[in-house]
Amino acid sequence: MAFPSSLKPTSRQYSPGDYPVKTYNANNGAEVRILYGSRPRNMTLELSYSNITDSEANDFLTHYYEMQGTYQTFGIPSSSQTFSGWTAGADNLNLAGTGAVWRYGEPPQQQSVRPGVSTVSVRLIGVQS
Amino acid sequence: MAKIYTGRDGRLLIDGTEQIKVTNWSLTGNLETLETTSLGDSQRTYIPGVQEFSGSATLLYYNDGTNRNDAAAALKKVLKIGAVSESDTVVMRLRLVEGNTNHDVELTTYITSVSIGASVGVVSSAQISFQATGALTAVTI
Repeated sequence: MAFPSSLKPTSRQYSPGDYPVKTYNANNGAEVRILYGSRPRNMTLELSYSNITDSEANDFLTHYYEMQGTYQTFGIPSSSQTFSGWTAGADNLNLAGTGAVWRYGEPPQQQSVRPGVSTVSVRLIGVQS
Repeated sequence: MAKIYTGRDGRLLIDGTEQIKVTNWSLTGNLETLETTSLGDSQRTYIPGVQEFSGSATLLYYNDGTNRNDAAAALKKVLKIGAVSESDTVVMRLRLVEGNTNHDVELTTYITSVSIGASVGVVSSAQISFQATGALTAVTI
């Protein structure tokens, strides 16, 4: 199954990462930076879904296992509800502008709130394919 | 027929026994709500969570001449030498009477606080508070 992108998250936090830059500082204070690549890395997307159904929470676990944990990568369409509320176009948030794809940064965190209701937190890392 | 309920219509039963000299009772029900508002929504949305019921009552510290003192019986649920156990629940039935019809709410409770005092010129009474455990067992209100 695909990443459960039909669900609107309760909160979303995106970090655009950085380019592979190495910085050298001379004794006189001068700084030299060397760019080792043309594409950014270490983009992160943290999503939380509060008080969703257990079935919806289970979709995240199923997808995590299908991705073999943090091993395989996947994409999230820019038109999906994952980016709901962001009105500037999702090309940056979904990594389409960087050529990267997502993988799980850690296992999804599932918390049972009450019978049938769960809260799930997901942390994704953007990696270049 | 129109009916306005007052304290004259109120009754309090503890473990099935109608209490004597009750001056007031109150019941509060709460519903916890779980927020489901998500990004892009303009209005907050919720789903129902856990219910909670609690209440309080005041009974005169009164001996009816047969050594029955309902206030003392309620006080002893907390004012006791030994520890309160899980089985120390009391069934509260809060009632409003309309002729032969009873409008009741029944709940299994623990008495969570009691207080009693004596003051010059004031009738001694016991104030009790109770916390329901589990679901309501009867609602005919």
